Amino acid sequence: MKVVMKPIEVIASFNLNGVSTPLKFRIIENGFPVVITVEHVSFRSEEKLAGNKMITFRCQSMVKGLSKVFELKFEPDSGKWFLFKI
Amino acid sequence: MGRRLIFHVDANSAYLSWEAVRRLQYGDSLDLRTVPSVVGGNQETRRGIVLARSIPAKKYGIVTGEPVFSARAKCPKLIVVPPDYYFYMQCSKAFGEVLQEYSPLVEQYSIDEYFLDYTGMVQTLGDPLQAAYRLKEQIKEELGFTVNVGISSNKLLAKMGSELKKPDMVHTLFPEEIPYKMWPLPVEKLFGVGRATAAKLRDRGILTIGDLANTDPQWLKSFLKSYGYLLWNFANGQDESPVIPNRRVAIKGIGNSTTIPFDVHDRQTASLVLLSLVESVGIRLRQAKYLAGLVAVSIKTNEFYSYSHQRKLSTPTDSTNRIHEIACELFDEIWRQEPIRHLGVRVAELSSNSLIQASIFEQDMEKQRAMDRAVDEIRSRYGLKSVMRASFLHSGLSCIAGGTITEEEYPLMSSLL
Repeated sequence: MKVVMKPIEVIASFNLNGVSTPLKFRIIENGFPVVITVEHVSFRSEEKLAGNKMITFRCQSMVKGLSKVFELKFEPDSGKWFLFKI
Repeated sequence: MGRRLIFHVDANSAYLSWEAVRRLQYGDSLDLRTVPSVVGGNQETRRGIVLARSIPAKKYGIVTGEPVFSARAKCPKLIVVPPDYYFYMQCSKAFGEVLQEYSPLVEQYSIDEYFLDYTGMVQTLGDPLQAAYRLKEQIKEELGFTVNVGISSNKLLAKMGSELKKPDMVHTLFPEEIPYKMWPLPVEKLFGVGRATAAKLRDRGILTIGDLANTDPQWLKSFLKSYGYLLWNFANGQDESPVIPNRRVAIKGIGNSTTIPFDVHDRQTASLVLLSLVESVGIRLRQAKYLAGLVAVSIKTNEFYSYSHQRKLSTPTDSTNRIHEIACELFDEIWRQEPIRHLGVRVAELSSNSLIQASIFEQDMEKQRAMDRAVDEIRSRYGLKSVMRASFLHSGLSCIAGGTITEEEYPLMSSLL
């Protein structure tokens, strides 16, 4: 996988314990918005590099008929989401 | 009770490695620590000095504190990143939180240094050396930067120990190790020996810490006064200061200074710069609930020649206007019409503001205080620049100048252990 780190718009769910799960995200590709539904989150991990908390989600989705694995990153402090690796 | 066990934990090139880690976290493929890079101020506003450098930058002979301009001359490919003090506070806090897992007695000594009292923790957390290695690895793993740990039986030796060899190392410096680990070092390396003291010692043939430790303290006192005793104790590894959590150093004076983006030639602009400095000094003075009994002004000319002037006040004050008035008078008394590069204002001889001795010569003191209070309140609620004096309009100057962080306490190094 390679790092892309592109900002994305996200719809996510939060459970009663505050654990978040991304459901859908929209990314601008070649000037056009593309919406991708997150079908499966295989695992989440938390990091606190330089004191900045970020949660990484390893996800899986069907994109153009192919099953793809990618990683999303969420920064709780700023509320921003990123497509981290594809 | 056995002897104390103190750790000194010091982040390696803190500002720079924190910047590097942040960039990596945001997906940058370049690690700043592996290329010549520095954290430095803005050259355009003439505040461009090197605050931190990477180890590859060190190889080019770049030193902390030199102008970014001359650093660039030494290494044209040098990467310069601007500082972000709020971010450093966040790093420092996360750093301290990890240390709390190793002892309840943790003292923040500066933005990138902590003391930790490990005395009595051996039963629960095991051997200090192993704990120090674990601590170092945990910080590297969780927070992404490396630290040096010094272990000894007091704060001074722990600090001297952590500076021995960098980066990413654990050192012990127990009293029995002093003769071969600390004494061969040049005398400047000793905590408390600055440029001025080092010159005095070197002139008298004291070149290493060992030389200092083995002289007669009475003789040191003859030219260094009581500070000579302190240094002699330090050179012999003697220090009894405790680790104090949440320490706040007693304030002796409050000052502010700024390098002006252009040279100042006229009195009017200088007085405005002084006002912008006094504004922040005044806020801090009132926040700390003090009155000042002395005002000092310092000037640095475009040829880097500095001089200063101070005056005691007949009645202590905390009024922005009053301090500014005195600062301008002092300025007029010393300024010799040279172009000015840097101006500073400082107040000292602080006393509590709970009781005020009124003076029959002072006018409208209550009115002044009410005014300052109202302005302070608006600024604390809506931001420092929510109210400004009209004289700053179109002046090209900031209405409140100087300082790294205005509202939060920014822990800088202190000369006290």
